[in-house]
Amino acid sequence: MNKESKLYVVLFTFIISFIFIFVLSLINAYTIEKIELNREFSKVKAILSSAGIQFFDKKDALEKFNNLFIKKNINGVDFYIVDREGKEIFVYVFSGNGLWGLIEGAIATNKTVDQIIGIEIIAQNETPGLGGRIEEEWFKEQFKNEKLSGSLKLIYTGKQGDDDKTNSAVDAITGATLTSKFFVKIINDSIEIMRSALRSE
Amino acid sequence: MNRYKEVLIKNIWVENPVFVLVLGICSTLAVTNNLKNTLIMTVGVTLVIAFSNFTISILKSLIPGKVRMMIQVLVISFYVIIVDIFLKAFVSDVSKALGPYVGLIITNCIIMGRAEAFAQANNALISFWDGLTSGLGYMYVLIIVAFFRELLGFGTVFGFRVLPDNFVNWTIMVMPPSAFFMLAIFIWIAKSFKKKEESK
Repeated sequence: MNKESKLYVVLFTFIISFIFIFVLSLINAYTIEKIELNREFSKVKAILSSAGIQFFDKKDALEKFNNLFIKKNINGVDFYIVDREGKEIFVYVFSGNGLWGLIEGAIATNKTVDQIIGIEIIAQNETPGLGGRIEEEWFKEQFKNEKLSGSLKLIYTGKQGDDDKTNSAVDAITGATLTSKFFVKIINDSIEIMRSALRSE
Repeated sequence: MNRYKEVLIKNIWVENPVFVLVLGICSTLAVTNNLKNTLIMTVGVTLVIAFSNFTISILKSLIPGKVRMMIQVLVISFYVIIVDIFLKAFVSDVSKALGPYVGLIITNCIIMGRAEAFAQANNALISFWDGLTSGLGYMYVLIIVAFFRELLGFGTVFGFRVLPDNFVNWTIMVMPPSAFFMLAIFIWIAKSFKKKEESK
């Protein structure tokens, strides 16, 4: 058959696309369960670490999650509640728009929602090395035990991180001001949702 | 065997994809402020070039000229999706860190450049080797750029603090423009070596 004839071109393109896509769907079908599990597990991990609970491995994390946490719907909002040293901690799984895509994560606060216990990111699509640094420890560390008066503010300290836990503010990431802004907005929105659900109870 | 050596030297030095052919610059600018991300990204690119070169070379006698580029893109995206799925399934932390950049390997011009310039005209094995060495040529340049950017921008190497705490980070090194400076300096040094070599 003539390699440049219309029939050959159409047939060849069809067959080759079919083969490659078929192989891809096979690989996808084979790994989809694992990817789904990874996703579920990163949610569990995020809920645990936002509440400040440490774990060693996957098994330990799942065990702690299943034993310690109660899922409860309060005024239409889903909370994961854990009792730590006699105090109830409320974890809310949030999602909101970052600069490039959805940012998902977990935020833990006390019952009166005037102190953040911790935050953790589940998934994000920010620029690697710039906005993607919201996943770095020093950035998340700033939210830990931060006292909230009103909403959280963004400040520009010139160094890395804001150590003051009472000023209700966090330091923006250098080179990723927009992601920082969007992220703080997501956190503030989540805090609002938590407040209106928990305080009207 | 000589042919293999020749391809190696060409791709690493004489016709290095980054500082001689100036291809794949978008990723050079984007990922190089962090060594870990750079390393994973370049390994991904290297594997994709090698395997897509290999595949295209096997198929070359069957591919009609009219749809040549479409088929190349198909093959390249096929391997990129495999890399993406593999990262998501087995090293989900890395996949999280690289985010959208894995998908963007498809747009790296080195891959299509090698498919078009080499794999279309050579046998499968040497095409694979050509892809691998092009990837290495790309990798070491990016690693060097990333080393200096991470060192001066964050004071760290692979995330470990090496510069003293009172070192003031050069913020510019974290931002994309510094990659232009670093790459330009690299090209400058490499070209002056080349000139010396030629005059000998």
